[in-house]
Amino acid sequence: MRECLSIHIGQAGIQIGDACWELYCLEHGIQPDGVVLDSHQNQLENAKTEHTNASFDTFFREIRAGKHVPRALFVDLEPTVIDGIRTGERRSLFHPEQLLSRKEDAASNYARGRYSVGSEVIDLVLERTRKLAKQCGELQGFLIFRSFGGGTGSGFTSLLMERLTGEYSKKTKLEFSVYPAPRVSTAVVEPYNSVLTIHSTTEHADCTFMVDNEAVYDICHHRLGVERPSYASINRLMVQAVSSITAPLRFEGPLNVDLIEFQTNLVPYPRIHFPITTFAPIVSADKAYHERFSVSDITTACFESSNQLVKCDPRLGKYMACCLLYRGDVVPREANAAIAAMKARQSVQFVDWCPTGFKVGFNNRPPTVMPGGDLAKAHQALCMLSNTTAIVEAWARLDHKFDLMYAKRAFLHWYIREGMEEAEFLEAREDLAALERDYEEAGQSF
Amino acid sequence: MSDTLTLDVIGRRVEVNGEHATVRFAGVVPPVAGPWLGVEWDNPERGKHDGSHEGTVYFKCRHPTGGSFIRPKKVNFGIDFLTAVKNRYVLEDELEEDGKEQIVTIGNKPVETIGFDSIMKQQSQLSKLQEVSLRNCAVSCAGEKGGVAEACPNIRNVDLSKNLLSSWDEVIHIADQLRHLEVLNLSENKLKFPSGSAPLTGTFSALKVLVLNRTGITWAEVLRCAAECPGLEELYLESNEIFISERPTDVLQTIKLLDLSSNQLIDENQLFLIAHLPRLEQLILSDIGISSIHFPDAGIGCKTSMFPSLRYLVVNDNQISQWSFFNELDKLPSLRALSCLRNPLTKDDKDTQTTRQLIIAKIGQLKTLNKCEILPEERWGAELDYRRAFGNEWKKAGGHQDLDKNRLSEEFLMAHPRYQFLCLKYGAPEDGELKRQPLMLKNQLLTLKIKYPHQLDQKVLEKQLPGSMTIQKVKGLLSRLLKVPVSDLLLSYESPEKPGREIELENDLKSLQFYSVENGDCLLVRW
Repeated sequence: MRECLSIHIGQAGIQIGDACWELYCLEHGIQPDGVVLDSHQNQLENAKTEHTNASFDTFFREIRAGKHVPRALFVDLEPTVIDGIRTGERRSLFHPEQLLSRKEDAASNYARGRYSVGSEVIDLVLERTRKLAKQCGELQGFLIFRSFGGGTGSGFTSLLMERLTGEYSKKTKLEFSVYPAPRVSTAVVEPYNSVLTIHSTTEHADCTFMVDNEAVYDICHHRLGVERPSYASINRLMVQAVSSITAPLRFEGPLNVDLIEFQTNLVPYPRIHFPITTFAPIVSADKAYHERFSVSDITTACFESSNQLVKCDPRLGKYMACCLLYRGDVVPREANAAIAAMKARQSVQFVDWCPTGFKVGFNNRPPTVMPGGDLAKAHQALCMLSNTTAIVEAWARLDHKFDLMYAKRAFLHWYIREGMEEAEFLEAREDLAALERDYEEAGQSF
Repeated sequence: MSDTLTLDVIGRRVEVNGEHATVRFAGVVPPVAGPWLGVEWDNPERGKHDGSHEGTVYFKCRHPTGGSFIRPKKVNFGIDFLTAVKNRYVLEDELEEDGKEQIVTIGNKPVETIGFDSIMKQQSQLSKLQEVSLRNCAVSCAGEKGGVAEACPNIRNVDLSKNLLSSWDEVIHIADQLRHLEVLNLSENKLKFPSGSAPLTGTFSALKVLVLNRTGITWAEVLRCAAECPGLEELYLESNEIFISERPTDVLQTIKLLDLSSNQLIDENQLFLIAHLPRLEQLILSDIGISSIHFPDAGIGCKTSMFPSLRYLVVNDNQISQWSFFNELDKLPSLRALSCLRNPLTKDDKDTQTTRQLIIAKIGQLKTLNKCEILPEERWGAELDYRRAFGNEWKKAGGHQDLDKNRLSEEFLMAHPRYQFLCLKYGAPEDGELKRQPLMLKNQLLTLKIKYPHQLDQKVLEKQLPGSMTIQKVKGLLSRLLKVPVSDLLLSYESPEKPGREIELENDLKSLQFYSVENGDCLLVRW
């Protein structure tokens, strides 16, 4: 029993979480009220005697026969988004104690999320976390969902991560973070919040999977025929990636069973823990069955920047590690052949010092799509996690925006007012600059 | 097979170096000795000729370079279904006996493979296979009778696209042994479909999804195949040059989704023939070259009886350039979602907002447009804008505030069938809303009369004042004019449209606009 606790923070974290648990329920045959569908119940019965596919216990807790509750916590400093869950389709799925909200929000301000408003609620959150952790036989670690740009997502998460490290030092913490993007942005101060939070959480997170709203927006608009992608469309696509990443934990499978294995495979240095996620095939539901993608097609597609969920050009960098998670009807022989074909490409360059190269795994459950969603169902799918030095581009963009505002000390007083000091800004910016240098150093040859 | 050239070879589908072809001829081609097969390639430019050699016509091709003569030995006639399944899912005995993991090298880097063994063991258990993909595996026949049923009877979903199946009968032989088959993909197989009505075999009783993209199937053949599938829910027929020639009776009645994309021969009249499928919820008509649609059984503002269950219509990549298209779509009773990207009408990037608003206003029951939900506020805004935008036209066409006096022209009703409804919902547009004057200062000035009820001998003045002028400033102006202190002045106004009603202008800080003072009104000054 290696359970995982998901903590969803702020509007982004909560809305992604909602879509996430919706997808998990579909995949495991759990209805919106937590009860397992009959046909899957049979599977569960058999599984218990066979000790195989019961792995979804890592994410769900069975409180009585047939009723399952997610091992999750939703936290926000203002109530409207969580109220959406309390009154939405999955209101009976969660226990009321798992949905925490306060009255005064962080107002897109890291300082409020971390110091003033956040500090009032941190103890309650930790208490609930303890409760959930006690219900686990052997807690593996935490999955934190949040955005970099929001007040709660940046500030409160920093605070929480610090305290989690204090209390659960041996447990892994993986983050799914939403990197801010200009076209779907809601706050001018996102660069400040992002830099501050990256500085304070880097040492506490073991691996951070970044997703860029703009990249997903483009995919939805150009490839899936969505005229003006809303958060709903963007989140639905994002959770497909989340599902692929957590699939090895939820289904019986040979690769990456432990959260620790993610770290071992993808993170060469503690600070270089930001892999990019790529997903294939991405086909509009209106064009289902029009084109058939073979294993080699989807493998090639994953090395193309248009399928990436973060905007950066991997051809400008070097790969340090690469995990390929195949899902569905993929025969190992074909995967081998596809990867061997990738070797011939000049654009896939690895650093000299990293011996592992590719790590490949299989999960024979095909990805599930939400009914009425934008994606077409696929027989075979691939989610690639690659740690590439090209991500330094994302940091550079963020730092540049930070510098432009900080040079004029614009909007700074909102943070100072809540008890922060300018020194913290400088420290954070220095840290990000150091991070950029670390990546550049990693990419250099001996 | 290679040396005997029996006539049953003709019509078989074969593969040569990755290219697929159909055998059209088997025999001798003088003066060269030995047996030859004459094939027509799928790719019309792959061949050397059109079936004739040195004057003699051996077989016919549709394309002048569509044919070739090949030695039978070089041709792959394909394998049977079970062998293909085993090839893909079971590892041969010679390899992997010691169970060691293979080390694959990529570039200079070794690739660690984890779990290949257990996956392979699992797939070896063919009987547990439910989803099988045999795309491009050169499957040409079912194999020995009962073989498939014995080895992998639980297959529910099979992808047999781009194989060498040459006839529907062969497909039946395979499907007969798969009692639980729900999804069958036969795309890119050039099958010979049943030509006459044959007795039903009950083979596809469980089939829900049938994919026949790029098979060259005709509509009549579709209906014959569909007759075998009583429970069919989804049918995909992309890129087949289909011409809908008859109305399906007794078949396709359970269909929920029909994909007719990229069938350029379809036109709007053919759509009438599929308009009475009772359960059809999703119709995909992308890239068929359609530019108009009409439902003649419904008048303006009425609902049609055609496509009763249609909820989602896709008409991307077509030739729609008239707004009348969307007027007609409003007649569909169940339509809730529409996708109409990349049409001439909607292509202009600058105006996508306006186009979206117009479509929303024209189709009342639409909830999703181009995969974006239409929120109530958006609909409200779009409908109000529409009402205002065409208000002048409406007036010219005989529209009247008093709905009893409405006598709208046929032309207007045809172009704006929902307009009457919008007037009922939001009220008929008022003149004030419809006037659109350029934003010059003089247009923002109100021409007002100024009367002095207590001083009857004073002349009635006319002044032009901006609507944004505060009452305080008006009083100041009048005070200077009349030599009366500001504090003594009491202002009110009356409108010629409502004679006898006097409205006090008591708050000095508010503007004339606040009190709705309009052009032509009369200010009354007392002190």
